[in-house]
Amino acid sequence: MSRSTVNRVLLGVAGVVLLAVGVLVLAGGLDLYGRLGVDPPSWWPLTSPDQPVVSVRTRTRWVDASWWWPAVIGGLTVLVAGMIWWLFAQLRRSGPASIDVPTPGAPGLRLRLRTHALEDALETGTVVLPEVERAGVRLVRAPGGPRLRGAVRLTPGGDPAALVEHFDTGPRADAAASLGLTALRADLRVRVLRAKHTEPRRRGRRRQPRVR
Amino acid sequence: MTEQTPGTPSEGAAEPGPPTEPPTEPSTGAPSEPRTVAARVPRPRSARTAAAVLVATGVLVIAGALLYDVVAVRTGHPALRWRAETADELATRHLDDLWVLIGAGAAALLGGRLLWLAFAPGLRRWLALRPHGETAAAIDRAGVGHLLADRAAGLPGVEHIVIRINRRRVRVTLVGPADPAFVQARLREELARVTLARPLRLDVRADRPGSGTRGAGG
Repeated sequence: MSRSTVNRVLLGVAGVVLLAVGVLVLAGGLDLYGRLGVDPPSWWPLTSPDQPVVSVRTRTRWVDASWWWPAVIGGLTVLVAGMIWWLFAQLRRSGPASIDVPTPGAPGLRLRLRTHALEDALETGTVVLPEVERAGVRLVRAPGGPRLRGAVRLTPGGDPAALVEHFDTGPRADAAASLGLTALRADLRVRVLRAKHTEPRRRGRRRQPRVR
Repeated sequence: MTEQTPGTPSEGAAEPGPPTEPPTEPSTGAPSEPRTVAARVPRPRSARTAAAVLVATGVLVIAGALLYDVVAVRTGHPALRWRAETADELATRHLDDLWVLIGAGAAALLGGRLLWLAFAPGLRRWLALRPHGETAAAIDRAGVGHLLADRAAGLPGVEHIVIRINRRRVRVTLVGPADPAFVQARLREELARVTLARPLRLDVRADRPGSGTRGAGG
């Protein structure tokens, strides 16, 4: 499961819990059941505005049971461990440190390429494409093989469609060929700079088009 | 440079075809190349890293403090004051207490916000481009605005231009003697060059100090 899926599921769970608690307390506190004429079932919590949020009886209901404290401590431990795992999952580098390079004709040889070296080569290949001002490329893990993620800044008036085509047939295809991959999908984020001459924003003055 | 949209003839050819779902059938538009048929490009989705870090830290602090205190009490130490006070407050304050209602409202709002973060795609800044081969791409909205502004600044009769872009349309307000229809045609060429997966509507209107506002639909 990708990091995005994990994050969204856990955020959704936290959201549902918070929303349910908040709505239950609000419905009880504002006496919505009485005003709307709804009769909640007997086990429904927090129905009367006059009852405390968590009464002493509710809190100490199972204290005498032998399973209560092990369950509380175990549950909290699982929760703390899970949160630590979730937190570190955000910090983890999302790509492999190195990647296998095929060695045809040399069966005993195993060759691995540092991901950083591959990313450097891809960045160099992207920066020299026409109209590119700056480029960064990362290799990330993804379902169905590694994936490239690129951020490219174009010079003013640059052509995004041409950049996508050049990147796909140039650096991306080269990397796929040298890694021996049949498919190497890529995501590009393209930004375009603004020409300098559009900066003064005053009415009635004709701006001279200036070419850098 | 001004690539005429080749999707138009293929859409016309697809209409008399199968009436079930013409736009998603690439085989019906046989004469056009597959790249130019407006494919359903999925919107880029955010990984929600920042929200995950915040929620994980918050839950970790609360659950960790509770765990520490519960273990301390079980091993014979007195409970920490904040936990005893919280339990006392929860046991004495009734549901119609103002602070209880405020806290419940805040919890409900926060929960709704987290649910929104879980389901909404996010990345509203980025507009998907038509993919080429195995490369998917997105351009930032401000970048589209920069391209349009640079193109408009070179046109005759355009003194000043204001461009506002949301996810569906571009509104251009221009000051100067230029004809809005002329400017709109030029800007439409520029917009077609960007090859957005979901084209933006383009409205150009002239804001003339003397003659009031004249609009030109798009």
